[in-house]
Amino acid sequence: MAKDLDYEPSAPKTIKKSTGTKIFEAIAYILLAVGSIVCVLPFIIIVSGSFTDNSTILIKGYSLLPRDFTLSAYQTIFRSPKDILQAYKMTLYYTVVGTGLGLMMITLTGYVISRKEFKYRNTVSFLIYFTSIFGGGMIPWYLMYANVLNLKGSTLAIWFPALMSPFLVILMRTFIVGAVPDAITESAKIDGAGHFTIFFRIVLPVLKPGLATVGLFLALGYWNDWYRSSMFSTNSSTWQLQFYLYDLLNATTAMKQMASNVSMKTADLPTESVKLAMAVVATGPVLLFYPFVQRFFVSGITVGAVKG
Amino acid sequence: MKKKVLSVLLSMAMVAGVITGCGGAAQSAADQLEAEGVTEIPQSEASTEAATTEAPAETEAKELDLSQQVDLVFYVMGDAPQDEELVEDALNEKLLEKCNATVDMQFSTWTDFQQKYANEITAQSADLIYIANWLNYGQLASSGAFEELDEMLDTVAPELKATVGDSALNMCKVDGKIYAVPNTWAEYVCNGVKYREDLRAKYDLPVPDSLENLEAYLLGIKENEPNQGLLTVTTEESQGLKTGFDAAWALNFKYPWVANNGLDYGLAANYDTPADVYDYWYSDDFVDDMKLMKKWADLGFWSKSALSDTNNSDAYKNGLCVAEVAGQNPNKQVTAIADFENAGQGWESAYVAYGETNGIIYPGHATQNGTAIVRGCKDPERALLVLQTLLCDEETNAILQYGIKGTHYDVVDGIYKNLQEEAGETPTFPYEGFNTWNLRNGETKLPQKTDVALQEMFDKYAALGAKTKFPNVNIYDGFAENYDSYSAERSAVSNVMRQYLAPLEAGLVDDVDAAVEEFRSKMKEAGIDKCREEYTKQWVAYCEEYDYK
Repeated sequence: MAKDLDYEPSAPKTIKKSTGTKIFEAIAYILLAVGSIVCVLPFIIIVSGSFTDNSTILIKGYSLLPRDFTLSAYQTIFRSPKDILQAYKMTLYYTVVGTGLGLMMITLTGYVISRKEFKYRNTVSFLIYFTSIFGGGMIPWYLMYANVLNLKGSTLAIWFPALMSPFLVILMRTFIVGAVPDAITESAKIDGAGHFTIFFRIVLPVLKPGLATVGLFLALGYWNDWYRSSMFSTNSSTWQLQFYLYDLLNATTAMKQMASNVSMKTADLPTESVKLAMAVVATGPVLLFYPFVQRFFVSGITVGAVKG
Repeated sequence: MKKKVLSVLLSMAMVAGVITGCGGAAQSAADQLEAEGVTEIPQSEASTEAATTEAPAETEAKELDLSQQVDLVFYVMGDAPQDEELVEDALNEKLLEKCNATVDMQFSTWTDFQQKYANEITAQSADLIYIANWLNYGQLASSGAFEELDEMLDTVAPELKATVGDSALNMCKVDGKIYAVPNTWAEYVCNGVKYREDLRAKYDLPVPDSLENLEAYLLGIKENEPNQGLLTVTTEESQGLKTGFDAAWALNFKYPWVANNGLDYGLAANYDTPADVYDYWYSDDFVDDMKLMKKWADLGFWSKSALSDTNNSDAYKNGLCVAEVAGQNPNKQVTAIADFENAGQGWESAYVAYGETNGIIYPGHATQNGTAIVRGCKDPERALLVLQTLLCDEETNAILQYGIKGTHYDVVDGIYKNLQEEAGETPTFPYEGFNTWNLRNGETKLPQKTDVALQEMFDKYAALGAKTKFPNVNIYDGFAENYDSYSAERSAVSNVMRQYLAPLEAGLVDDVDAAVEEFRSKMKEAGIDKCREEYTKQWVAYCEEYDYK
């Protein structure tokens, strides 16, 4: 916008938009406005609900502005913030370690199977691709980690299984093939470069968009995952954040259901407003962080879209 | 050429993948396990097999060789308490002294617990495990998931056998063998009606202890307080194959078999003659009952949008309704008393169990809370000894259930008191903090403050239950339907129930007779006859097996 103004500072009004453009813009603005309201509203309701007294929510329902304003839900959570902070810490740890190691392994694999001089590259590609279609199923998968590798209860079981995925390896291979023409690597070879030199000095520098895309996929996967905590954690101190929240909800529903069959205490289950406050506490920091890194995300994805 | 072959292979693989769709079907894994996985559980190792086959030679109690320390894993449901380690250490101190063994409690958490439970059994990583009928105990036991306990109970744990008693153990039998040890705390989860005693007294209305009185009670409140909500019934407590709408549970006043644990598919059997199964949906009674439901709906007892409403389990607590008829039990009544006390508005809650009117009342089934030894356990005999110590030894049981005396709890006038709760803190080890409902010992169980009211209700029900034909025996819940051969018909029947029975029972039809006719013909189309035939066969066989005649 600023550039447009600089270009023709004296006569911005003289340029008339055609009726077609005006109609288009009007429709576009309305659609975007509706779209953003749809996106923002639930979040406003969550925030407002988290500040509302629990019984008010139950009797009068949710509202845009908090009625009967109270901080009690947050007080409940921060009376023992240890759990939620621990879950945050673990998720950060899994995301950093998993994304870092995963990116390294995926890139290396992608490079190897992109090299024409590698005799078995088709076989290896096929083996990798094969697993994306045929899996052993959930129970063998579980037994593999729990009984064969004996990883149950360790943090390794949470980040290790997701280090590589066939889709990302293939994606990375395509990136490499597209970004680095054979001629370049060949001339490097003639100049005496080995595979490591070629990889680190020639391939990696031109691979940044690819790394960003694959890294984003990996990081989002780690951040949003709860399933492996559910399967392999034996101690709540290794839980991922998403699992911590998800389990809180599940515990409430399960206990309520169980209470129809078994004598058990249901009094101290989290109330509606506490659940909402939990959601705010868990997503808030990410939400604040997102606008600043968003442009990298967007450029990463579009680059991937064009070349992948 | 090679390349072509490979690409053909690849595309074939892709097509196959799309057709079979066996990518990440994590959801169906639980079913898969139920259907096949469990049957693949390897037989126990040679050593344990030998131990059980050798046993008959010496039927008398024998001294176990305790020289080797055994570390056992005990898998239980739910979330771990904060002080898990602290209490486990105290517990293991006792166990080491008495059985030279330790236990490590492992928790399922409430996320995906059914699937994880099945995984745990397949992986055989636990030694002792919590079992319950809602965790498919019968099915798992008959597919060989657990160790047989018959002989071991005599040889290793005679005290446990005596404490639990033969009749309770018999209820845990599957195909004639005992696979689990139940707890020894008789618990009544009988359904009933929770209502507002303060309003009833204020307007001098009858106690809602029958269909007529319930109607009079609700009508009376409607007349006196027109703005007061009456019932917040939805379809959420009626997702099974018994009813389609929550208000229909009130019919339990009239028929003892309209109960959570009654028969499915609109079948009925009287408690005294359980093997004598008869029909309800095609009887005249059904039409009359549906007319009553329509009358209630027309009187405005529940919302016109009841069928699509979501359940608000706190409605009663917040005064949005004056009675609850579905999914209630004594424990929920006790919770309601406490809730009303906290609310401080002078509200009072009272409870009438359906069984008080229809005369049929019984405690929960033995398989509701039990412990089994997983096949493949390191040392089944020691595990059983540990189980005996955990349940029968008062000191050990107290640590397991309540934590450490003085730190977590104290006993005042014979009543459990949580010290941290008292001090306004979040308890680091609440009552039954390990969720070991399977190790409740009826004789030594410490009552909580609320349990006093609960026990009063239980005593009343026990006296009533003693007068029935099978005194205080739950004859229903040991039954597990095997619907493999008619699962298609079964789900069709379930759909018809949701679509045609629910509006009937909610009274939201114009012409009851016509709607009943439609419901009946749709049921026939869905294959109700096949379901009923198979179900009845299995049910009668079950009654035979356990001698409920």
